[in-house]
Amino acid sequence: MRIPMLLTALVIGACSGTEPAEPAEPPKQAAPDPHKGPTTPALDELRAQAQNIALVPSPAEMQKALSSAGIEARLSEMVPDRQLKMDVPNKDQVAVRTGVVLADMLLTVRKADKDRLVAQFGQIKQGMGELGAGGDIAATIDDIVGRIQNDAVSRDELVKELDELSGAMIPEIEYEAGDWAVPLIQAGSWLEGSNLVAGALRAGGEYEAATDLLRQPAVVDYFLEYVRAEGADRAPSQVVAQLETTLNTLKEVCGRPTLGEEDVLTIQTSTASVLDLL
Amino acid sequence: MTRAVLALLALGVLATPATAGEREAESCLRARIWDGYNEDWAVRTATATTLAQEEYRIYLVTLYAGNEYKVMACADDKATNIDLVLHDADGNVLKSDETQNRQPELLFKPEATSTYFVVVHATALAEEGKKTGVGMAVTYR
Repeated sequence: MRIPMLLTALVIGACSGTEPAEPAEPPKQAAPDPHKGPTTPALDELRAQAQNIALVPSPAEMQKALSSAGIEARLSEMVPDRQLKMDVPNKDQVAVRTGVVLADMLLTVRKADKDRLVAQFGQIKQGMGELGAGGDIAATIDDIVGRIQNDAVSRDELVKELDELSGAMIPEIEYEAGDWAVPLIQAGSWLEGSNLVAGALRAGGEYEAATDLLRQPAVVDYFLEYVRAEGADRAPSQVVAQLETTLNTLKEVCGRPTLGEEDVLTIQTSTASVLDLL
Repeated sequence: MTRAVLALLALGVLATPATAGEREAESCLRARIWDGYNEDWAVRTATATTLAQEEYRIYLVTLYAGNEYKVMACADDKATNIDLVLHDADGNVLKSDETQNRQPELLFKPEATSTYFVVVHATALAEEGKKTGVGMAVTYR
């Protein structure tokens, strides 16, 4: 254990010499003035060096944005009860499906009945396993499922845990399965969220907030860059090919400064065309 | 903390080969994220990195109009001053923290949904030639 070792080291260190130790030289201070402000990177550097880990909003954040825009629709009530199989040979499909189920679960966790929640966790566990994730995620999911089944966790507590779990799974997947899977999982979640938001806007006939809720050109570019690179190495799967078609449509829509009713319909139908393939 | 969260702590350590400094920073960040839940903050992303004196990391983030965001950072004890700066998509500085410590935060409520750049600067370290572990999180409510 580290602490006893550290204590031992301190004791040995304190008793190791007979002569009084020389006073330690004060650490050499780093040269720059700590009160000086940071240097400002130029725009080219910002664009070239930026990491995308926080680029894609979560479905729960989409729901929050919907509420902040004054739209009462609950995405949780619009989530279909999907029975997506994870034991399919195509890993691209597994990744997108896992992202979709993850989105559905994040949106419905507060109200979903126990059986549905347990089934969703089962799908995610299987999907992650197919993608090569390590046993830590499976063990964590088993632990959560056990507590759900025993009513040993409140839904509020579960929301927090899922929040953190969904964040922690991405680096775990990247580490275990390779970074190819991450954008597809994120794309699955983002497509599902965008599809539901577009559906909510259409159901309420509320298009004024469409631009703020659905226009995300940088996110579209991020996914497009990935699927184009994927297609360059190997023949893309049907899902990835459709994903690229959908993303090209979304890129065109996002090129407009403001979105209206027709754009929202286009977003809903084009995202559905990927989701319907799953 | 629940058992699952303890498992996640282990997961965080195992997910990427984090340094001791990054683990210390992650631990500090996780405590602040969990405190934030009491005030309705939820987490979008949390990550950790290692920076040398005056080095920085740039993160691209999408922020929604109407939502309120808190960007926060935590560094290990090798740092004396970590700074956070928020730029718009054209590179203009919108916000920067004025504190001289290793746990800065920025509050921001965007007027338009857009992408922004968050830059985490290791402005000052305690000793020359050392590196510091720094965690960064984007939370929203």
